[in-house]
Amino acid sequence: MPTQTLGTTAPAQGQSAEEKVRQLRELFADAPEVGKKALENTLREIRSQVAEAPPPPIESAGRVGARLGKVSELTIIVPLLPGGAKRLRTFLQLLGGNLNKGDKVGSLHDMRFVFLDNDTRMLFATSFDGDWDAYIDDFVAQIPDYLDLIDSAWEGWPGIRDPGAKDYLIKHQITAEGWYVAHPDLTVAEIHRLKKIGKAVDEFLDKVA
Amino acid sequence: MNKDAPMSSVQESVGGNLSTQAPGLDLHEIQASVLRQRPAPYFGSHVLLRIDDAQEGRAFLRRLTPHVDSAADWWKAANAWLAVGISYAGLEALGVPQESLQSFPEAFREGMAARARHLGDEGVNDPKNWELAYGKNQVHIGITAFSDSEEKRRLALATAREQYEGFSGVSVLAMQDFGAQPGDLNSLGYKDGIDQPPIEGSGVDPLPGQGQPIKAGEFILGYPGEAGVPLPMPQPDVLGRNGTFVGFRKYQTRVGAFNRFLRANGTTEEERELLAAKLVGRWRSGAPLTLAPEVDNPALGADPQRNNDFNYSNDPRGRQAPFGCHIRRMNPRDTKLTRLTDVNLHRVIRRGTTYGPPYDPNAVSEADDQVPRGAYFLFISAKAMATIEFLQQEWVNDGNFIGIGDERDPIIGLQEEGAVFTIPKDPVRRRAHGIQTFNVLRGGEYFFMPSLSALRWLGELGQ
Repeated sequence: MPTQTLGTTAPAQGQSAEEKVRQLRELFADAPEVGKKALENTLREIRSQVAEAPPPPIESAGRVGARLGKVSELTIIVPLLPGGAKRLRTFLQLLGGNLNKGDKVGSLHDMRFVFLDNDTRMLFATSFDGDWDAYIDDFVAQIPDYLDLIDSAWEGWPGIRDPGAKDYLIKHQITAEGWYVAHPDLTVAEIHRLKKIGKAVDEFLDKVA
Repeated sequence: MNKDAPMSSVQESVGGNLSTQAPGLDLHEIQASVLRQRPAPYFGSHVLLRIDDAQEGRAFLRRLTPHVDSAADWWKAANAWLAVGISYAGLEALGVPQESLQSFPEAFREGMAARARHLGDEGVNDPKNWELAYGKNQVHIGITAFSDSEEKRRLALATAREQYEGFSGVSVLAMQDFGAQPGDLNSLGYKDGIDQPPIEGSGVDPLPGQGQPIKAGEFILGYPGEAGVPLPMPQPDVLGRNGTFVGFRKYQTRVGAFNRFLRANGTTEEERELLAAKLVGRWRSGAPLTLAPEVDNPALGADPQRNNDFNYSNDPRGRQAPFGCHIRRMNPRDTKLTRLTDVNLHRVIRRGTTYGPPYDPNAVSEADDQVPRGAYFLFISAKAMATIEFLQQEWVNDGNFIGIGDERDPIIGLQEEGAVFTIPKDPVRRRAHGIQTFNVLRGGEYFFMPSLSALRWLGELGQ
């Protein structure tokens, strides 16, 4: 059952590094042996990182979803209609599982389609540039049918043109509580640009060498 | 004064042919400013008011409404005209029922100051730095008087003043005269306000370059939009229909900083003017770089039939109009963007006004930055809040959409330390360093611009 909450065991705001680490140790008293050992081995490193060099925290991607730098995540778990999984799976297999129409959107880093619980539910996850709904109206205007082709497998999906479509997504979306991105400052467009520059530099250096 | 002169000045700015098809809009209900362009020359005033008493506020509206022009025969402006907008705080102050208040969009209900995160209004533009009148939910009613002469502006203002003077329940928060610039140049010395979205059913054919007419519902509530259905409309019907929303933003122009930047990056007058053109995408005369890539063409700049008649199909690498220039950001036209976009969804009617002394090319001191001189940007559309917030986040304070990373709009962008402006060039691009925030936000608000029937409905609340 999808849950939207921050865990009740989440560290309180304003706790010191030391307090947070102590809380972790207390909780690991109930962990399996494997976990307890692992914590013992990593405790010094963890403590030092939390105290001295904590990473930039994740932020909100807008109404829902997590964001790190420029890259946001969207994770939804939806119930599937009878036959929906089969239709969607067949469509994905036409393209070898690689829905590279995503190139056209220009802001998608990746998309993941995972069928769960004997084809009764599905996990859809994507990482993309920017805020959650800045460009949704543009998608509706430009690629409504591709969206509906996929989403029609979902139980209760009203259609992308329906004003309730955004609410449906939010209802099934779960904000990630852990979100790591290797290059949070690189959008898809920036990656294209840097690749071009890198290639040009190599060619230039070849010439002058 | 020549009796025909006023008609021709607005008609001139319309430029296009009056359409032979009957317009499909309720022109008698829509406020004139939504469709009527700024005259040339233009004179006017903005007045911002606070309602201290609901009954008095309604009485004031009842007296003001008969003087608010509709868009019927909007291309014939014989006199000055008034535009009236009401903020969410203003609707509350008038005693609009809760159910109705809740039907307005969230961004409008929050007010522009509370939307600072969505607008990127931080640092110098942070609402906590705004002028006294703004940002505290006190701006309730905005009245703008537009005219093509000083005389008419005075008369229009006197009319408006007669309505609110003697009302103890309505206070003036701020008043600003604008316009009367030589050549109607803006605070940075450019002819502006050239491009506008063409609206289907408005009664005038589009000017060359404006593109295909856009469904009226994108700009006026109650009509089908581009997706074929009307946009969400406030309730009740009489309140929402034929109304629209306005984003109102007052900017202070740092003329000294702008001139220092030109001088630091150009040694001759020619180099500086070319750089000035590259920042905007038009020469100061209004001539677009796309049509005049190397040398200014003032006659072209002055001709509404030609000065907007272009697209970017011959400039895929930004060699004529840099990708980051102001007009290419505000209307990318057929530029190939990095992400799937429908540019027609992000267009907005603009009724900007310049205020203060004219641009001075020799002003280079920091004191010159403080002279009260700048621009009021008024953006009008049925979803103005969403559009302005989108533009600010995606097309103004970022460059990713057009492939230039973190670069920001050189004219209205909020620049960070060490910002650059890239000018694509052969053999190698040029990057102008030291670009600063040239226009600082001093205040703003979101307004609802009701139809004439809606204004009457508001005035008669509780009666």
